[in-house]
Amino acid sequence: MPPHLCQLCNTARAQVLRPKNHARICANCFIATFERETAETITSSNLFQPGERIAIGASGGKDSTVLASVLKTLNERHGWGLDLVLLSIDEGITGYRDHSLDAVKRNSVEYDLPLKIVSYEELYGWSMDQVVAQVGKKGNCTYCGVFRRQALDRGAAMLGVAHVVTGHNADDVAETVLMNLLRGDLPRLSRATSIVTSTPRAGQPKASLDGQPAAVSFTNVKRSKPLMYAYEKEIVLYAHHKKLDYFSTECIYSPEAFRGSARTLIKNLERIRPESILDVVRSGVDMAKLVPDADGNCKGACGSRKATEIEVKHDGEEEEEAGGGGCGSGNGQETGGEMAEMEKKLLQDDRAEEEGTETHISMPVKAVNGQRHDGDEKVGPPAAALVGEANGQGHDRHKHPPMSTATTVPIRTKQEKKAGRRSGRDAPPPRQVLGQCERCGYLSSQAVCKACMLLEGLNKARPRTGIEVGSAGG
Amino acid sequence: MPGRRAAPPIDHTLCRRCQVTEPAITVRTEPLCAGCFSKYVPTKIVKRMESFRVRHSDPGNERVLLLPLSFGSCSTALLHVLSQQLKGQAEKTGRTGFKLHVLHVDSSDAMAESSLLGKVQERYPEHTFSSCPLSDVLAVDGVRELFQADSSNSEPLNDDGSSRELTLEKLFASLTSPTSRGDILQILLRKLVVNCAKRESCEAILWGHSTTRLAERTLAETAKGRGSSLPWIVADGELLHGVPFYYPMRDLLSKEIASFTSFLEPPLDDVIATEAVKPAVSTKNTTIDDLMKQYFESVEQEYPSIVANVVKTTAKLRATPLHEVETQCELCDVPLDGQAPERSRLCYGCIRTLPQFAG
Ligand SMILES: [Zn+2]
Ligand SMILES: [Zn+2]
Ligand SMILES: [Zn+2]
Ligand SMILES: [Zn+2]
Repeated sequence: MPPHLCQLCNTARAQVLRPKNHARICANCFIATFERETAETITSSNLFQPGERIAIGASGGKDSTVLASVLKTLNERHGWGLDLVLLSIDEGITGYRDHSLDAVKRNSVEYDLPLKIVSYEELYGWSMDQVVAQVGKKGNCTYCGVFRRQALDRGAAMLGVAHVVTGHNADDVAETVLMNLLRGDLPRLSRATSIVTSTPRAGQPKASLDGQPAAVSFTNVKRSKPLMYAYEKEIVLYAHHKKLDYFSTECIYSPEAFRGSARTLIKNLERIRPESILDVVRSGVDMAKLVPDADGNCKGACGSRKATEIEVKHDGEEEEEAGGGGCGSGNGQETGGEMAEMEKKLLQDDRAEEEGTETHISMPVKAVNGQRHDGDEKVGPPAAALVGEANGQGHDRHKHPPMSTATTVPIRTKQEKKAGRRSGRDAPPPRQVLGQCERCGYLSSQAVCKACMLLEGLNKARPRTGIEVGSAGG
Repeated sequence: MPGRRAAPPIDHTLCRRCQVTEPAITVRTEPLCAGCFSKYVPTKIVKRMESFRVRHSDPGNERVLLLPLSFGSCSTALLHVLSQQLKGQAEKTGRTGFKLHVLHVDSSDAMAESSLLGKVQERYPEHTFSSCPLSDVLAVDGVRELFQADSSNSEPLNDDGSSRELTLEKLFASLTSPTSRGDILQILLRKLVVNCAKRESCEAILWGHSTTRLAERTLAETAKGRGSSLPWIVADGELLHGVPFYYPMRDLLSKEIASFTSFLEPPLDDVIATEAVKPAVSTKNTTIDDLMKQYFESVEQEYPSIVANVVKTTAKLRATPLHEVETQCELCDVPLDGQAPERSRLCYGCIRTLPQFAG
């Protein structure tokens, strides 16, 4: 059989079978096509402003290496005038990041892009080695994962950069869509499919619009995923044919059960119908428009249809699982743990609901009636947007407190009072499930974010500098 | 309310509900005896038939509901439970909340199926029965034209049964993958059922989907690029296709329904078509629907609440109000606004399945 010729140029030998559309093309045409499609994604969603400073979250792995290479190429080709910086996170585990950071350093030289490596020590006052010394080997993964969520935002803020791009590809996004369907998390599904997400305050108008980066707070950082429509296979092919220098960071630890399930499904789907990875992404994007917001309104499909203008916030969650994660000492989570846990919780909820409808007449009413409820409200800091602590957790299946005015303070039981921290008597009750950490301002479903909680524990034992609120100005 | 009585201690070796008989099955961690389980299943179904109760019916104007029967265990169990419910209503009140029109669409082995239809009809003679071949869908308004798009063939529109058979055969042969054939089969089946419901003036269509089946469909449709259709796929009472759909079995798992049919006396087994066992997963012939079916069959064993939660989550998606919809996909009816290439007659999901007809 004669070798196939490239379907695009009809001269060179076809070397690549594109998973996306089965086209057989040569290496040069593939590279050109990959770059053109990435450029289309960027321009059609207006990802960048001319002259914008962009930090590329660089782990030394294939995705972020390809992202850096493509952005560098496109920036020069199209004269976008972007000011690109490589941003890497060093967890501070002796030996662990050496190889991947070496790869990033070589790329920095080769692409002539400045590189900033920020360490957990700089960001949090604690390196992972120090954390391990403090808390022991067991459980230190929690610290690593939680710190990683915010690290890119904090690192970018240190550089005075308000926009971070990450190497998430179509496979990652598709996997996250299926995973969040399986675990019933529509808000996260929406976030995963948004090409741009922002931290809580990024949506607010800034004082200076002339791009002066002087006062970038880490709660004011935009994130985007220019490769979210690119197949992982094509990213590998691009890296191969461009002879890019990257470090294989195959995670040797099994992912948690929901993600593991979703990953297996995606691999099987790809075998059945290669196009289905992008089809899952498309479905996710379409579904995100149908996710009701906290007020019960539909975001995109009904009413105003401008889904692109809807602000989607991120909580750094993806960072935990995205390439380059893992702190080397194992997740310590037995596969299936999360599913079993969720099954148990759902079953309890179901039971409670059934019993609630059967026995609610005989519920004791004493605790509610006749209790003073207007004199001893604890007034919290005004900026703290609170989440439903009062009802146990910020889970969206629970009722949102009703809208109330100053005269109709909700009646609460003693126990709720202890747990509840209201932002002020006159403020409307919280309506959004995702609020901000009352200490550092980061997006959080709890009053105090996990990073601040963990730091509090660490710092109690050995007082050091805590997270500085909003003053991380380079 | 009088003070609560102290509940007697539960004997874990006996059925959790009656505490008399030994358990025969475990339903979401609750051990139940065959008798209690045989009550549990109908309760779950009847609860979902709330809007069709006797007191909502107008004596002079009987409501007719269409029940598509595939001879699978789900739709057969639904037929059985509703028949019992109607009998109970007639005994108690002298009338019923609705009547059933049972429709079977022939899509494969016509001989075996026609003998099954006879048996079902014998067992439930009180309902109206009809059956038609899948190829009848080509007589539904607009369908034939839809597949004519690529036809260089200028054959005259010969509209008898055998020519329809042939056209349908050609259509399926032209589809490139098992996934596409499965996808188009489902859509055509639904179109035909809806058309029949309209023709017979049925007020709604009662599908036999279990919660497991709805979860399968959620993930399968997502994987086929049909995410925007999900709010219509799982919601009760939606009428994207012109007749409202209901899923009365939506609170039951597939495995629970299978046990139910085998516990019945006489068993339903001889009116249920045995599913051809698919050979071990060869991805060449596996469809996306098969993949999701296998997946949820296994999840259902250990994590039934997670299966149910997928459906509850999907049900939270808000469908675009139909009055705001300007154009719908000509094949699957999903709103096209923003979900399809400009001036396309088909949505993305349908284009993926029928690239040759996307014009
Ligand atoms: Zn070429
Ligand atoms: Zn915090
Ligand atoms: Zn019993
Ligand atoms: Zn369609």
